[in-house]
Order: sequence, then structure tokens, then C-alpha cells
Amino acid sequence: MSSALEKPQIIAHIQKSLNYTVFDSQWIPCSAKFVCMGNFARGSGVLQIYEIQHGELQLVREIEKAKPIKCGTFGATSLQQRHLATGDFDGSLNVWNLEVPESPVYSVKAHKEIINSIDGVGGLGIGDGAPEIVTGSRDGTVKVWDSRQKDTPVVNMEPMEGETKRDCWTVAFGHAFNDQDRCVCAGYDNGDIKLFDLRNMSLRWETNIKNGVCSVEFDRKDINMNKLVATSLEGKFHVFDMRTQHPTKGFASVSEKAHKSTIWQVRHLPQNRDIFMTAGGAGNLHLWKYEYPAQRTKKGADDVDMGVAGSVNLLQNVTLSTQPISSLDWSPDKQGLCVCSSFDQSVRVLIVTKLNTV
Amino acid sequence: MTDRHPSIAPPLSNHRHVVATSVYVSLRRESEMPLIVKDHTWTQNQNTVYISVPLKGVKPASVHVTCTDEYLKVSFPPFLFEVFLFGSINEERSEARIGNGVAVFTLQKRRDESWEQLFTNIDKDKQKQIREQAVLKVQQKEAEKSKAKAARIQQEKKYALETMMKLENKERDRIQKMKDEECARATAELDFWRETQRKTAEEKENQQKTRGTGPQDNQPVNQKTVTLMRNTGDTTSGQRSRKQTAKDLPAPRSAGCIQISFTPRVFPTALRESRVPEEEEWLKKQAEARRAVDTDLAELDDLREDERNPDWLKEKGDKLFMSGNYQAAVNAYNLAIKLNRKIPALFSNRAACHLKLRNLHKAIEDSSQALELLKPAVAANASARLKAHVRRGTAFCELELYVEGLQDYQAALEIDPHNAALRADSDKICEIIQGTT
Repeated sequence: MSSALEKPQIIAHIQKSLNYTVFDSQWIPCSAKFVCMGNFARGSGVLQIYEIQHGELQLVREIEKAKPIKCGTFGATSLQQRHLATGDFDGSLNVWNLEVPESPVYSVKAHKEIINSIDGVGGLGIGDGAPEIVTGSRDGTVKVWDSRQKDTPVVNMEPMEGETKRDCWTVAFGHAFNDQDRCVCAGYDNGDIKLFDLRNMSLRWETNIKNGVCSVEFDRKDINMNKLVATSLEGKFHVFDMRTQHPTKGFASVSEKAHKSTIWQVRHLPQNRDIFMTAGGAGNLHLWKYEYPAQRTKKGADDVDMGVAGSVNLLQNVTLSTQPISSLDWSPDKQGLCVCSSFDQSVRVLIVTKLNTV
Repeated sequence: MTDRHPSIAPPLSNHRHVVATSVYVSLRRESEMPLIVKDHTWTQNQNTVYISVPLKGVKPASVHVTCTDEYLKVSFPPFLFEVFLFGSINEERSEARIGNGVAVFTLQKRRDESWEQLFTNIDKDKQKQIREQAVLKVQQKEAEKSKAKAARIQQEKKYALETMMKLENKERDRIQKMKDEECARATAELDFWRETQRKTAEEKENQQKTRGTGPQDNQPVNQKTVTLMRNTGDTTSGQRSRKQTAKDLPAPRSAGCIQISFTPRVFPTALRESRVPEEEEWLKKQAEARRAVDTDLAELDDLREDERNPDWLKEKGDKLFMSGNYQAAVNAYNLAIKLNRKIPALFSNRAACHLKLRNLHKAIEDSSQALELLKPAVAANASARLKAHVRRGTAFCELELYVEGLQDYQAALEIDPHNAALRADSDKICEIIQGTT
């Protein structure tokens, strides 16, 4: 075979056109099914469960809800239960049992405005500690919920009195390597990235990347925080090395400009934490690999350790559609299988090959 | 061309009758003084004429033959041999062989007859005609040849292009095939994996069924029975999760609240919405305006310290405006403007005063001046611009220049689309305009 096919190839395996706007798609853990969330044109929310059969998508279940659903995660449930936690346009957080979707297992009016982003930790056999869900909303607050505590969040990150609020666009859990430690990273529309330490209940680090932050993700939730990728408007993303924090300079980072448009999502491969895929506003996907530098720390001017950022290489890119690809999820069970949904009302199942030789 | 025997040429028709043992130079109008060749030899049989012309040392490459059905010309500078044939020949089937110091022509006769002589005696005009015909014929032949050549080149190019395209298509197909194979392989792998998944799930289910509900009692937290889920995944993850739920989860976190503040900005819009260069410009202008004080005025000497401060004067003017003393307010603003011509608020407020005093033209001037100073148009000076537009619009309408007034009201509406009073006013003006036209 010629050398052109030694790079990982992104193959669009199945594409399905839907009749509603789809905002998010998530694999159901330990299965070949995934859930699509969105809203119908008539203004009601919808959850659809699809299964891959013989190269086609079969609709297993369709569930309609009152309010459009913006985002969802399986991150905080156990592998037996596989409850889906969703955030909707009304600001409500609901946890559903997909077998019995009539009424939610846990429900709370989390925010006053739309929940833009949701993440879960402590479930699926990954990591230690209590399962928790974090939601970020347009009302500028980030709240952490525990399904055993009704009605009030366990942590609330809100603007101070009199502060003009900025939309929170994305949230992510990380640093959950034992029972007590946990961190939440939130990105806002004015370019702020804030890292909250939930063990000390304090703001650990903040920075501003000048453009609205569309998506943040740690490379692994359940380890001592290693890398954080933050993507923004105007095609830039930053990779922060989170192992070494300098008291004034914060974390070292490398930034890359790609996509020529908003980068809507970044997702790390569950099987290899140095490979991640970014989804862009022009309907394209870029597959990247992070290379660590020779030395991850160095002594700064004042003899304090500073981190050293590595470099990112583009492995492959593909253009799938003309509309932004708004969500992307890797399958935790099969390496290279992922599902992505885009604003052209379609969902695609992709296979990325040769990831084990990268 | 050497000119050996220049002599006055005899009439052209006579040159053929010169006894040809020696070379004779004749001045001919058409050619460059060639030497006529007369020592050719010829033989014939029933259907062919053979003419042999000695080349006299001229290279075969420079021999040029023109032949029609009735005429043969061989020109090899400096020599020329031409003959008007006795009978007509078939030019296409005739051939010429040039080499070895001699040119041999094999001419096929049209009619099988014996020629008495090679030449025919024809008069001068006929000769000229025949020569011209010959020239034409040669040209035609050349044209045809070049056309044929062009056509052939075209053909070859097309052929080359087609072959190139075929090759490229083949290459493309090959790469496509490789990609498809890869895709098919990945799909097959996926199907296989799913099959194994399903098989293990079914096995597990069967195991569960046979084992009964025993193991489930050990899980204190999980209430749901495992058999509800069809695909419970492979055995290792199932064991892991069972281990986790066996130990107690930590209690929910004690409630905490973290207060945050956002990166401060002078302007309230987010970076993506802001127009940074314009805003910087506006800030600079403001700073400059504050600094600009025109101090070389003679009248300033008898002013108090307060009255030299444009801000203080502006406040004074505002107070006077509030209390209804518009003329005094105008005076205060005048003095302030004399001190500092760069503050737009002064002009805007003076315009308001003039409006009240019905000095409409002055009002228009002042609000225009204010708007000039309020460039660039940014969010910070929006309210100031709004006021200036409204004042100018009102002044125009009072002067019955409704169209200009409407323009200003539209501009004001653009700044503040939600102002109901503005909208009502501009609608009224529209009506007036439509009523009068």
C-alpha cells in the first residue's frame, strides 16, 4: 500500500438525516447505541436512541419532552444504570432512565437560563469519589449537583454582586484521581477560563484567551490533571500543560490555529489521551496528536518551576458537511468509533483507522 | 548573383529559340537572373517521358521542382530549366529523382502517344498563364500540406490528452479502491466486534438467568435488576462496577459557593462584538479633548479661575438650562467652547438651548458639530449621539425640512430601536412627508 494510507483515515461510515435540529450525541456506554438530543421545529425536545445494525442506523426509541434539550452526559451514572443527565433550554437538569423515560430519576431547575454545557464524573467505573454533574449556563453560573441532594447544588460558582455576568459556554471535570480531589474548568464567552478546585472550594487558576471559549476538556478526568484543551472562536485552540502551575504565570500552553472558523468541540480519544479531535464551524474535523517536550518543567527566572508546553501535530482532517459540527463523542468501547452531529440536521458515525499505530 | 553577360535582353518570347550550346543570361521579370539550362536529355516510350537534367554541381537540397500537367520547372539556383510539355501528363503519378549530379524525371503521359518533341511552341501569353497556374498550384499544394500537418498534430494532441486522462483516471480509481477497501475492512471489524459484544451479552444474560437473583443481593445501592439491560457489556467492566458499588460512596459534598469575577473591560461588549480599534480611537479622543484648552485669549485675563474651566462652565450652563434661562446658558456654553472646542457635549447642549430659543439654524449647526466630534460611532457615545440626532431632527422639522429631519430620526432609531417615542415621532414625520408629496 502506498504511504498515503499510513496516516489515520477518518471514514464516514454511516450518515443519517434527521428531521430535527440535533445539538448533542452521546454513546450509551458498553453498547453499539447512541442517543441524539435536540429539538423539533415545533419547539419540543427530543431524545432518539439509535443502534448500528449492518451498516445502517436503526431507531430504537424516540422520546419527546417539553423543552428542547441542549446537552447530555453519561458521565455520572454507573454502568448498570446508564442514566442520561440532560440540560435543556429552560435551565432544568434532568436525569433519565432511558428504559422508563416518562419521568426523570432526578430533576431540578438548575439555572434561570439555558444550560449550555454539562459534564459528569465519578460514574462508569472511571475514577473515585461521588458521582457529580456540573452544569454551565447562560446566566453566568456554574453549579455542581449530586443526585442524592435535591434542589440545591453542592457547589455554586457565581459572579459576585454587581458583576455583569458573562455566558458560560462550556464546563469540564478533571483531576478526580481520588475521593476528595476534583476540579471543574469553565469557559466563558469573553474568553475567560477558570479552574475551580472543589476540595478547597476556591478558584485555582484563571486566564483569558481573548476569544469566547467554545469547549474545554481535560485529557482524562480520573488522573492528576495532565492536559487541558480549550477551543475558541476564530479557529484557535490552546493546549495547557496542567502538571506544573506557576504562581503568577499559570500553566504553560501551546496554541494552534486551525479550521478558519469557530472550533465547536474538542474530544480526547478514551484509549489514548494524547490524541484528540476538534470539530469546526466549517463542517470539518481535525485529528491531532500532542507531543510532549523533552522536559516538562524548567526553572523560571525566579527559580520557580514552570511548565513547558509541547507541540501538536495534525494527523488527518476531513470535511464532512457545510454546517458546523456541534458535537462529537468517541465510543469508549471501540477505539476509533465516534459519532458526530452537525447543524445540517444529520448525525454521522465515523471510523478513524490506524489509531493504534499512531 | 554574378552578372556575366549583361546585355539588353531580347524579347522574352525569343529566348527559347536561342541555340542552346552555351548558357545564356536573360533578364526575366519574375526571377533573379537564373541561367537557363539547355543541355538536358530526354527519351520517351509509349506512356512515359524521361527527362534528365544535369545539376551542374548544385546540391540536390537546393533543387526546387514545380510541375503541373503541362509544365515543368526545375530551379536550382543559379540555374533554371523549364519546359512547356508537348502533351499533358499525369502529374500525380510522375516522379522525380534527384541525385548523383542529375535530376531524372519520370513523367506519365495522359494519353499514350509518341511525342515529336518535348516542347510545345506556345505564345508568350499562354506561357505566362501556365506559369501562373503552376505557381498557384504549388501554393495550393503547400496550403493543403500544412493543413494536413495541422490536422495530424491536432489528432496526436488529442490522443495524447486522452491517454493522459485515462492514466489519471486509473490512478484515481486505484486510490479510491484502496480507500474503499479500508472502509470495508473497518466496517467488517465493527460488525464483528458488535457480534462478539452481543454474544457475550447473551451469554451473560443466560448465566444470570441460571444463577438467579443471588448475586444481586450483594449490591446495596443498585436497585435495578441487571436483566433489564440487554447489553450489559463485557465481563470485566461489569465486575469493576460491582466492586465500586460494593463500597460506600462518599457523602454528598458539603455545600460551597465560589464567587468569581470576570476580566474587566472598559466597554460592556464581549471581545468578539467589540470594535476595538474604534473604541480605542474614541478613548484617545476623549483624553485629548480634556487636555485641549485654548488659553491664548485676551479676554481670559479678567475671568475667574472657575470660569476658565470648561467643565465648570458646562455645569453652569446645564443649571441655567434647567432653570429656563436659555440665553444665559448659551453664553456659558459659548465661553466653554472658546476654551475647549473639542468637547461634544458643549455643542450638543448649546444646540438644545438654541432649539428652545427657536434659533433653529444655529441648533442644526451645533448638533452637526457635536456629531462630528462624536465620531467614531461606538457604544460608549451612543446616548450622546442619540440626543444630537434627535435635536437636529427636531430643528429640521421645525424648519419644515421634513426629509432631513426624518433622516436624523432614522439614525436615532438605529441607535435605540426600542424607543417608542422616537418611533411615534418618525412615523408622524413620514405621514407629513407623504401627505405633502
